[in-house]
Amino acid sequence: MRSYLLRRLVGMIIVVFLVLTLAFILVRLAPGDPASLLLGPDATPEEVQSLRVRLGLDRPILVQYLTFLANALQGDLGRSLFFDRPVTEVLASRAEPTIFLALFSLLVALVIATPIGIWAAYRRGSVLDQTSITTAMLAASVPSFLTGLIFQRYLATDLGWFPASGYGGVGADFGTRMWHLVLPSITLGITNSALILRFTRASMLDILGEDYVRTARAKGMTERRVVLRHALKNAGIPIITVVGLTFALLISGAVVTERVFNLPGMGNLVVNAVLRRDYPVIQGTLIVVATLYVLVNLLTDLLYLAVDKRVKY
Amino acid sequence: MAGSSTTAAPGFRKLMFQRPSVAVALAVFVAVVAACFLVPALGLAEPGGMSVRNRLTPPGGEYPLGADAFGRDVLGRLMVSGQTSLGIGLGVAVLSSVVGIAIGLIAGFFRRADAALSRLIDAMMAFPDILLALSLVAIFGGTMLNVILALSIVYAPRIARIVRASTLVIRELPYVEAARALGTRTPTIMVTHVLRNILSPIMVQATFIFAYAMLAEAGLSFLGVGVDPRTPTWGIMVNEGRQYIDTAFFLILFPGIAIALSVLSLQIVGDGLRDALDPKLAKES
Amino acid sequence: MILRTCLAASTAIALTAGSPLFAQEVVNVAIIGDPDTFDPMVSTKDIVSIVTQHVIETLYTFDEEWSVVPLLAADMPAISDDGKTYTIPLREGVTFHDGSAMDSADVAASVQRWAKVASRGMAIADKIASIEATGPAEVTITLNESYAPLLSLLAFSNSAAAIYPEEILADQIEKPVGTGPYKVESRVPDQYTQLVRFDGYTQPGDAAGERAQTPDEIRFVPVPDPNTRVEGLLSGQFDYADSLPTEAYDRIAASDVAEPVLLEPFGWPIFALNHKEGLATDLNIRRAIQAALPVDDMLFAAFGDEKFFQTDGAFYPEGWAWYTDAGTDLYNINDQAKAAEYLEEAGYDGSPLRILTSRQYEFHYKMAEVAAMALEMAGFTVQMDVVDWATLAQNRDNPAVWDIYITHSPFLPEPALTSIFFSSSREGWDNAEKNEILARFTSETDPQARKEVFAELQAKAYEDVGLLKIGNFNALHGKAKALDSVSPSPWPAFWNASKAD
Repeated sequence: MRSYLLRRLVGMIIVVFLVLTLAFILVRLAPGDPASLLLGPDATPEEVQSLRVRLGLDRPILVQYLTFLANALQGDLGRSLFFDRPVTEVLASRAEPTIFLALFSLLVALVIATPIGIWAAYRRGSVLDQTSITTAMLAASVPSFLTGLIFQRYLATDLGWFPASGYGGVGADFGTRMWHLVLPSITLGITNSALILRFTRASMLDILGEDYVRTARAKGMTERRVVLRHALKNAGIPIITVVGLTFALLISGAVVTERVFNLPGMGNLVVNAVLRRDYPVIQGTLIVVATLYVLVNLLTDLLYLAVDKRVKY
Repeated sequence: MAGSSTTAAPGFRKLMFQRPSVAVALAVFVAVVAACFLVPALGLAEPGGMSVRNRLTPPGGEYPLGADAFGRDVLGRLMVSGQTSLGIGLGVAVLSSVVGIAIGLIAGFFRRADAALSRLIDAMMAFPDILLALSLVAIFGGTMLNVILALSIVYAPRIARIVRASTLVIRELPYVEAARALGTRTPTIMVTHVLRNILSPIMVQATFIFAYAMLAEAGLSFLGVGVDPRTPTWGIMVNEGRQYIDTAFFLILFPGIAIALSVLSLQIVGDGLRDALDPKLAKES
Repeated sequence: MILRTCLAASTAIALTAGSPLFAQEVVNVAIIGDPDTFDPMVSTKDIVSIVTQHVIETLYTFDEEWSVVPLLAADMPAISDDGKTYTIPLREGVTFHDGSAMDSADVAASVQRWAKVASRGMAIADKIASIEATGPAEVTITLNESYAPLLSLLAFSNSAAAIYPEEILADQIEKPVGTGPYKVESRVPDQYTQLVRFDGYTQPGDAAGERAQTPDEIRFVPVPDPNTRVEGLLSGQFDYADSLPTEAYDRIAASDVAEPVLLEPFGWPIFALNHKEGLATDLNIRRAIQAALPVDDMLFAAFGDEKFFQTDGAFYPEGWAWYTDAGTDLYNINDQAKAAEYLEEAGYDGSPLRILTSRQYEFHYKMAEVAAMALEMAGFTVQMDVVDWATLAQNRDNPAVWDIYITHSPFLPEPALTSIFFSSSREGWDNAEKNEILARFTSETDPQARKEVFAELQAKAYEDVGLLKIGNFNALHGKAKALDSVSPSPWPAFWNASKAD
């Protein structure tokens, strides 16, 4: 157990290190000299040279890389060219909508998918099983920006049930901000429910095939009671696993959803950064999101370990 | 269906199509592909030029699916755009499979490379697809090839992971060990024994990647960093139709249906393949 | 102060925290992007002008008829007979947002900085002999030669001759301090800019019009997506929305909450030609392009309804002092066979004509698509480079990579504000006869004579194909029905805005 934890931690550190390396390489691959790219075409050669020195671009690539690593480990991801503030600060100021959007949409997806998934497994092969799965897959097959646009157009603007866009504006209190996340969360949640539904259904089928469930069934327990007594008890496991699995999906979805609803989150930030060629912000977002992904997956694995006594490492 | 022969030869067809939806989905997908590639090639449909005065003509008559803001026939354009959209999906599925297989085989076969490659796979998977593709396209520019490359980088690790896991199992199988003992060279073993055995799960995964790549392309087009609009895709068509949501809803409806239908049918076919190729799940569902 | 009874729940909740008794009058404005600077001197973006005009003022401004009128100046300048010396009296008792009083030293230093760092200032820096404080409330600008557009330049809010306290002047001004009716209260990049009433504001003279400071606050919210701006306006989130897609006109007109604001005519789409390098340096190639363009179709595809455009070749629309039809027989030829003849004459070898455009403005892209088709019919090989705006802004300054790029401009009160006429511009239209006409135009001071010279300029622009005007287009903005006293303008101002209960 302890050696497993240690192994996982070492593995995680290596992965984070690789993430940093990949992010470093990626931005260096951009064609053209970063300094002249940053300054624009009007810059004089002297200005370009002085920025190169300031950014350390005149030093050997290995030195640049080591400096970058050292800075990143101290939480310094560089300075945004557009905001002229540290990248970490910019990202932190944009974290709230993204985090809550991810949480709420996960919640929406779980609320939709878990009961249907269990029910579909219980009635496997039935019309209900097939219909629910196909419907969920269909919802996931429509590009999420299209779903979002249609919701925004009809549910927000026409019916006025939800705010159409934004995050409440100047000095909005917490409740107002969260209220602005409801429609985006539903959009993203619906899109992501298919994966959870399929996962829940598959896990339930696994559990229903387990020996102890068969035994219970053999003892004359009705199928409904089997599901309620044994299977549901284990429903926590797929939920934990799915959180790790859908994290990347949620972040990708958040990029598009935040754009549709004009939410000031990290997704919108990175799209703007791309359009403004704000490379430090692109790089910083990649690093932070990837590191979060690694952490979330480690956490879910550990939770899994705590919940499911059957898992042996 | 090369892989099917070894895994589930006798009941493959029966298992694959035990749910009628799989057959329907396969038929739909084949029809979409045929419409996009065969119909224009056979000259059965004229994509037609611009006729600005007919812009936003509703579906019917001369324009079965309406005309867009330039007065171009939506049906003809759907077929041409489909070639790019499906091409991107297929390109990503093939390229990510090839790269994934190579990485996975090496990681699975050579213990020394395994640790490093596995971590690399983990690290690559930590980047969400749209985010990584967005950054790559931003850096290298939005051409069809770059979009395919970016998305392949995103999805290759998924294949690599499956290949590695399967390879680890298969390399310990008695007949593979026997082959090695007989002095068969490692690359030969990799290709003849391992590759043949893992082709099925890869095909399942590649089908899903095909679908995800088409969705991701639509997302990139929406964010304004997709492929050049002069080689349109369904994603670009939906995005262009956005501003006409009130005056000409059909402009987002039809390409939207095209995407959803293709992605959905690919996923159902992928499920069918999995049912047929993975006996454990197939038995239970 | 008006007690608001009902508004969007969101803003109501947001406001209770700060003001217990009276709800503040807040005007929410959706703009197309984030101003990347608050120093209007160094920017030519309309979005910067729209926001900063509330905060930072200039010596002169334009009235509703686009005549120059004094703002921080007390009166129109005394101009010497040779047109070289401008003596500008300043208003007294004007205070900056930091509490300091504006004096002639501040003004002279600010205008000097303008000639050094503002693109419009730098363009005429060689004509300026000196800018001096010649009294506590008087500044004198001395020119090397007479230059009629000077006052328009001093009045323009774009690359503006903004007046700052001398103390804050630097190459880069981080926190601009102005004299305007509003000051920046808080700003979160990409999210909002909050302006609040400046209590120490003193009204300008009658000519400039009262700046009543009706709203307590003005909030500018960047909403880059045009559809999202429409939804936000229609759902009551915004009181005003800038640059909306014309396709949304009917929907906004049918709404209970909002109504369309049509700026008619707003401006002109331009196909800018690269005179420095490449294909378009050849007059016959330029003439081929001019002859091939199907202007009607381009405008129709781009704007959809004749409500939103006019097929008009004059550089200024009817009703403007600068209106003339000189040279416009070369407008809208739409004859691809004729174009092919020009190509023949040019000995065109089939090398690609590179059209640089972006989808930041959808109508640019649409016009380019239609133009490309006609140009191909005429025999051109067309290469369309559709890039994002950042790339376009960068690439258009590199003459090696484009032949045509697409842009647009509002109708500017003074033709000399349009940089494309000048050979020093990025397009580099350098024709000896045109240069001579332009020199006469800028040095002539008699308005009637200037009109005639402008007609010569327009005729020359057609004959030598200096640039291609595609037509006139109207811009669509939208406002809440309850919002009043905002004059339609490319740079709408909100200091008089009021909201009905």
